[in-house]
Amino acid sequence: MKPSDSISRRQFVTTSASVLGTFAIVSQHKAHAVGANEKVVIGLMGCGGRGTYVATMFANRPDVDFAYICDVDTRRFSRVRDAIEEAQGKPPKAVQDFRKMLEDKRVDAIINATPDHWHALGSIMACQAGKDVYVEKPMTHSAWEGRKMIEAAAKYKRVIQVGMQSRSCQYLRDACDYIRSGKLGDVYLIRVFNMMQHPMRKTPAAESAPVPAGFDYETWCGPAPVVPYDPSRRWLDRWEFSCGAIAGDAVHQIDLARCLIGDKPYPDTVSHAGGVCALTDGREIPDTQMITFEYGKLTMLFESALWTPYMTKTPMDRRDKGQLPPNWAFNATRIEVLGTKGFMYYGRHGDGWQVFNEKAESVIAAPGRQADKEHQDNFIACIKNRQKPTANAEQGHYSALLCHLGNISYRVGNKKLAFDGATETFKDAPEANKFLKRTYRAPWVIPDNV
Amino acid sequence: MKRFLSALILAALACLPASAQWLSINNVTAKLENSEMGGAFLKIEYDLGVKDLSPAEPAYVFARYRESATAGWKLIPQQALRGDHDIVESTGKKKMLWWGLGSLGLTNAPQLEVRVRGIRVVRVPGGEFKMKFVPGGGYDESRTQVETATLPTFWMAKYETTIGMYADYLNETGKDGRGWDKHMANAERCGIKRGEGDVYTIAPGREKFPINYVSWYDATAFLDWCGLRLPTEAEWEKTLRGGLYLDGDEAKKVPNPKPERKYPWGDEAPDAGGVWRCNADGDADGFAGLAPVGSFDKFNSPYGACDIVGNVAELTLDWYATSFHAGLDGYRMVRGGSFMDPPAGCDAVTGATQLPVKRSSISGFRALRDTRTK
Repeated sequence: MKPSDSISRRQFVTTSASVLGTFAIVSQHKAHAVGANEKVVIGLMGCGGRGTYVATMFANRPDVDFAYICDVDTRRFSRVRDAIEEAQGKPPKAVQDFRKMLEDKRVDAIINATPDHWHALGSIMACQAGKDVYVEKPMTHSAWEGRKMIEAAAKYKRVIQVGMQSRSCQYLRDACDYIRSGKLGDVYLIRVFNMMQHPMRKTPAAESAPVPAGFDYETWCGPAPVVPYDPSRRWLDRWEFSCGAIAGDAVHQIDLARCLIGDKPYPDTVSHAGGVCALTDGREIPDTQMITFEYGKLTMLFESALWTPYMTKTPMDRRDKGQLPPNWAFNATRIEVLGTKGFMYYGRHGDGWQVFNEKAESVIAAPGRQADKEHQDNFIACIKNRQKPTANAEQGHYSALLCHLGNISYRVGNKKLAFDGATETFKDAPEANKFLKRTYRAPWVIPDNV
Repeated sequence: MKRFLSALILAALACLPASAQWLSINNVTAKLENSEMGGAFLKIEYDLGVKDLSPAEPAYVFARYRESATAGWKLIPQQALRGDHDIVESTGKKKMLWWGLGSLGLTNAPQLEVRVRGIRVVRVPGGEFKMKFVPGGGYDESRTQVETATLPTFWMAKYETTIGMYADYLNETGKDGRGWDKHMANAERCGIKRGEGDVYTIAPGREKFPINYVSWYDATAFLDWCGLRLPTEAEWEKTLRGGLYLDGDEAKKVPNPKPERKYPWGDEAPDAGGVWRCNADGDADGFAGLAPVGSFDKFNSPYGACDIVGNVAELTLDWYATSFHAGLDGYRMVRGGSFMDPPAGCDAVTGATQLPVKRSSISGFRALRDTRTK
């Protein structure tokens, strides 16, 4: 393995050490210090499908007291409230304004499962209130927000765990060790896939609709402009609220790829190809994204689209069964690591990893297992021991950053852009730099000084 | 022929107690007879002891049979029956004839037993109605949005399916706990215990509460057992809101005063003026948890359907899909809000998504009959 341009072992060891949590943090918020045998008091912000799923998993833990559910849309309470009550035998308190939850000193941590445009602001407000945070991915809606999240975690000595649970898989660590051992040779190329099939959104019968009773739409919009209410999920395709359906899922793949190449924080350049090709339903955010990230001589090629029926994610009933994918080429969430001595397939969803030699012979085949529970174990443990969690704010920032950089390259006309990690800005590209930070609508503003 | 007739007399009879929203059906007799040309038929007679049946609020009557005490119960296909079966619009002594027994090998079945059950339904006349958007998380953008839709006539159950009805179903069909969930034993939420030999008992006083902790598959299995099905979202919504003409597009004599109403009773919020119109979150409506079906019968839909909002959220036939990929497909739509929803969530348009395998205390269902067979 060559030391500088591909992955160096030393660099890997350094970054791995930080991942494994060598930086102890001591909370200044004594009121929220959780004893080793105490239950962690948790609340949920955002009662959608993902929030309900994650909250239910936490509520089923014996070391958690699930105390709150919050959503601006009160019609969303019942499903998660029912699930939590069933899990722990008592209902959580339901509040429409999450700030009431943040004011409660009993609450140790929150789960932030809001839409993308609320991830950073909600998490930073939680940190300011002395709460630890489990925030869904992508951690941020813009590049600038990632740095602010890191600063907030440090300033308020808070644990931030990002819902990039694939990072907690043992088989990821095994695959990383294999690459670092040099058996794959020097790695110059990593190809990252995230293929999906989404339906075309139908044209709405009306431009907007009345805001339903029980829904605080103004707060839902938060830092974004208050646009006419659209009851559909079309907001997922708008830059003001979302990073896109691709980034929302593919950040898992990008995070895994970053881990496989040693958690490099910044690429030197980014170049996007693609756009809105197949799903021409008025969306702003591309349905086809081919992004090239250059890290010196190491190149990451990211390929994703929302219209591919022939590459599929591993079905739920095949996951965690100790099986490799039956056909890697048609696996929608695979990563290919190309070394000078060997070729590695790595798959999400417990798909494991497999290495082929120069004769196309399989030399190692290692099925894996998903790690949702381990990821949550790690969060709870870090709340108690004040260590940095596996998917901490730094890793959440660097992985989401790649999504943002790719999107910005698209938004300036699929231009190749050079990125300066020291300043976290593009070099000589003011038109691109203006997309690094959003315009915030008062009072929902993240201050420069968090 | 004489030997055959003696077998007819031995045809066993069965009737079920009127309880928990099964209609009162008594004095069931079944007699095997032979026709001159059409072969054997079973004459089933029963008393439908309901006072106020009408074309607008008739009964749906179905019959099930078994060949012997050790055989499984089966539905008598509605299309094999003539007479007072399926949609029955008046009360009194009733008769239906089951033809085609010869093709089933039942012309000499001395142990044959028949059970007749009925549920109250409301007629939703065919015609156009206003179909609204479904705000919130439950809107499926893969489907075409419409402002109005036209549906043929169908009959919707007046009440949500009850614990009493479902327990009866389990006792007839339940094997190895199929269709039952351990959470049903919780008498505060549901109240069906499973005993030795798959005997299901109902907690005292719980018969008339809506069944919950049923998956989408459990609900459809129950309805298959009755010869019924779940409503689509459109059918559910039309039942709540009414067509543009409440007497249907054939008559068009009774315009709907509020064809875009937000709630079954109109546009007033469920708790407007301190009067509770459905079973929503909290105990201010008189019920901390579920309520017996029909508890808010002053606030029915234009066709007389009770509790179509609140109490249990109701499973529908419709899919919800944002992606065709594994893990995101397969959801079904649930409508109407539940006893855990705020009043605003118990309306005509709010929908939620639910995995079809999920069993929840807040979800139940009601039945729909969409064709008649006579």
